[in-house]
Amino acid sequence: MRSRRDVLRDAKSGIVEDPLGSGSGTATTPSRRSFIAVSLAATGGLVVAMRTELLGAQTQMAAPAGPVGFPVHYIQIDPDDRILIWSAQPEMGEGTRTSLPMLIAEELDADWTRVRIDDAPLDQRYGGQGVGGSDAIRSDWDDLRRVGATARALLINAAASQWNVPAAECETTLHVVRHQASAREARYGTLAARAATLTVPRDVPLKDPARFRLIGTRVNGSDNHKVVTGQPLFGIDVRLPNMKFAAIAKCPVFNGRPIKIDATRASRIPGVRDIVEIKGLDNPTFLMPGVAVVADSTWAALKGRDALIVQWDEGPYATESNATLTEQFQKLLAAPPSTLHNSGRVDDALAAAAVTVDNTYSFPFVSHATLEPHNCTADYRADTGEIWVRGPIQMPMSAQSIVARATGLAANKVHVHCTRIGGGFGRRLMSDYAAEAAVVAKAIGGAVMIVDTREGDLQHDYYRPAAMQRLRAGLGPDGTIIAWDHIITSCSRNVYRKDPRGEHSTETYGSYVGVVQRLDQLDADLQPTRIPNARLRYGAPLTGVATGAWRAPAHVVNAFTIETTIDELAAKAKRSPVDLRLTLLGTTADVPKGLNDQSPYDPERMRRVLLEAVERGGFGKPAPSGRARGLAMHHTFGSYCAHVVEVSVASLRLRSGQAGENGQKRVTIHKVVSVGDVGQPVNLSMLEAQMQGGIIDGIGAAFYGEVPIANGRATSRNFGDYRMIRMREAPLAIEAHFIPSRLRPTGFGEPPLPPIAPAVANAIAVLTGERIRVMPFLRAGYTLS
Amino acid sequence: MAVSLTVNNRAIQLDVDPETPLLWVLRDHLNLVGTKFGCGGGFCGACTVHLDGVATRSCSTPIGKAAGRRITTIEGLSANGDHPAQRAWEELDVPQCGYCQAGQIMSCAALLARTPNPRDEEIVAAMNGNICRCGTYVRIKDAVKRAAAMTSPANVMRSE
Repeated sequence: MRSRRDVLRDAKSGIVEDPLGSGSGTATTPSRRSFIAVSLAATGGLVVAMRTELLGAQTQMAAPAGPVGFPVHYIQIDPDDRILIWSAQPEMGEGTRTSLPMLIAEELDADWTRVRIDDAPLDQRYGGQGVGGSDAIRSDWDDLRRVGATARALLINAAASQWNVPAAECETTLHVVRHQASAREARYGTLAARAATLTVPRDVPLKDPARFRLIGTRVNGSDNHKVVTGQPLFGIDVRLPNMKFAAIAKCPVFNGRPIKIDATRASRIPGVRDIVEIKGLDNPTFLMPGVAVVADSTWAALKGRDALIVQWDEGPYATESNATLTEQFQKLLAAPPSTLHNSGRVDDALAAAAVTVDNTYSFPFVSHATLEPHNCTADYRADTGEIWVRGPIQMPMSAQSIVARATGLAANKVHVHCTRIGGGFGRRLMSDYAAEAAVVAKAIGGAVMIVDTREGDLQHDYYRPAAMQRLRAGLGPDGTIIAWDHIITSCSRNVYRKDPRGEHSTETYGSYVGVVQRLDQLDADLQPTRIPNARLRYGAPLTGVATGAWRAPAHVVNAFTIETTIDELAAKAKRSPVDLRLTLLGTTADVPKGLNDQSPYDPERMRRVLLEAVERGGFGKPAPSGRARGLAMHHTFGSYCAHVVEVSVASLRLRSGQAGENGQKRVTIHKVVSVGDVGQPVNLSMLEAQMQGGIIDGIGAAFYGEVPIANGRATSRNFGDYRMIRMREAPLAIEAHFIPSRLRPTGFGEPPLPPIAPAVANAIAVLTGERIRVMPFLRAGYTLS
Repeated sequence: MAVSLTVNNRAIQLDVDPETPLLWVLRDHLNLVGTKFGCGGGFCGACTVHLDGVATRSCSTPIGKAAGRRITTIEGLSANGDHPAQRAWEELDVPQCGYCQAGQIMSCAALLARTPNPRDEEIVAAMNGNICRCGTYVRIKDAVKRAAAMTSPANVMRSE
């Protein structure tokens, strides 16, 4: 059984799924083995390095550039006390370049104000680079602390040998080793050279969390100054000598390809240098076909692309539209092809239920709309046959594999460097842009940045799948849920990317392959351990629309269906929605533990988060006049989150000439009170930022996010019609609380999203009596004020 | 066409198609990449610069219209990266991905130049044209207020 996390892990290790795979998927999940080594830095300081080997993985990685077996750098401690920490993971706004170095600095007892952070290049010996699935902290929690603790032990050993005292009698405070009895102390910098000559201690114990002084505090982003002064950080800021710029025309219809290219007019645009046809790979998530116009400047490339005349083979999906998809969804809902779970006697239980609901939901395609548009730079050197790829790359290892495949170069001729990423949200789990840049660079024999417009970015995204769902549920006479019959139909990401692991596995509750025997085996969205009669069915339509993961992928839509239905059941039965949720949750013992899951789902943690949100948000207490409160909760990616929102709704009456739709209901979100449980919080400033950002993103996407499909193409143009939430519409206040905890930490880039839209819809229902069952909410007549 | 402009107090002459948006002249010709491309249509504000002191979307300003005028980009907002907006943004840890923040800061700086103590509604009106895809609006609003407090006459008097 493979989880979504396994897939991510493989992507990090450079394992690219074989689109014609045998059905067994990819190699087994790699396990890791690591060794720490030290050396003397050129500055006379100490370098602490670690080499990590992935075991059992069929990686397609470059041969190590340095001496064989030489480990990669993590820490350099200079004689002047400055500490340099290399961060091996890409940064896209979730704070990895701050929170991961914090793990090292904590164990090292380093003075954070003397720490600088630098980017590590892609190197197999970092043991898996790339982040996703809110997993940066949870993946690196052990190794990075071990690196820091080992460095600290080396500094203590250096001091002890210098002072001729037992190491056990030495302690560290910030940047200083101290021997209390002899009243001696030495700053780290003065010990670095000696430490570089010592034997590396093994199995150094980690800090007692009670002694953490950095972890669990608020630490500002390590690149903030560079960001606010406009320094070149992002992929689109890369500049190389003699580089060209290219814009790629792609078939407006999904899965189409160029058949005839007339570049006469394009070539006449001043500055246009080359036209390069991109053939595309057999899997459109690797590389789509297109025609690149190469020019001296971005503007000339864009004008050249506009002037191209391309005749397209539009492929088999040229008549696809929202209407044809809806028709397919409805047929699938009426006769769902696969039953993934069936326990008890669902039909009988529904017939016998005292209170029932029967709800149909629909969800649109949603674009990632990263503010930094699609771009990447590649530099091909014909003399050595090597290529350097620099860009906003989230998955450097799979980027390397895909670039190798697209260019025909050996993987060890492909060098990848991740810049800061101007927003990911799932878009940059794909590495198609790296392949595009590489193919064009190789064709022109030089350096080129490929860049797309906002229109192109919106029309050639890998969208969050459109879906329709039907959920029938019923309460028994004792007020508990006795029947649950959920049908999910959605455009399957696995079908699109030709992944043999089951069309449903990214779309239904959690991730699993094959038919699960018990719903409580599922790792997310709903653990109905206390629902005796439950059925889950799935169906996927035939579609050409490109799909991919969008921040907290299917959990966003599934949580909306589940959390609004539970709320509605409670309202119908005149029960407290809090109590109804509590009866569903069960206890820790109800949930079987996965063998390898270090942060298994624990209903008692969910219960505490729910109750704390209820308490802090005043849920159940009277709201200010004209307002109502709504509640939802969710567990994803090992973390727990609940929101209580306070909203009011006004009816829009337009004056003449004013834009908008008369009778549209305008929602003001006065306050969101949120509670998260991420285990041990690492950086409270970033956790709070993810809570705020996740809430705002979730609200914006719920009210506005929709990429309509017509004539086989995405019709969104720009931020004029593809609306993004703005400051005026964002909640007026957001309170973020985190449960104090010493449990192993989990991530929070995604968990705040799934519960926010249902919390808002549940609050709206209290005020208007109307249950929203469609996204975007705009389609139900609701907008943000 | 030969165009003369002043960018960050530097006189610039260049030969460029007058229809080229100021944004691409800054980024591709002058290598001032702090000004960001977000939408190309004036919807998102990532490309905001000051044109004679007024917050302007450089993506929809043809270079011909910027000729002879005074342009300030994020790189020239302050000598040492210490404009009150920049300091406030750092202090309140505003950036997530950070891509929009140069534009946000330029909008904030233009607001504070004409309205040193903006009311909430004035902040929202001035900043609403700048999209933050990561949703840092809560901290942006706080940072505008913090920057205003750093620059207000009352604050200066207190610190003297």
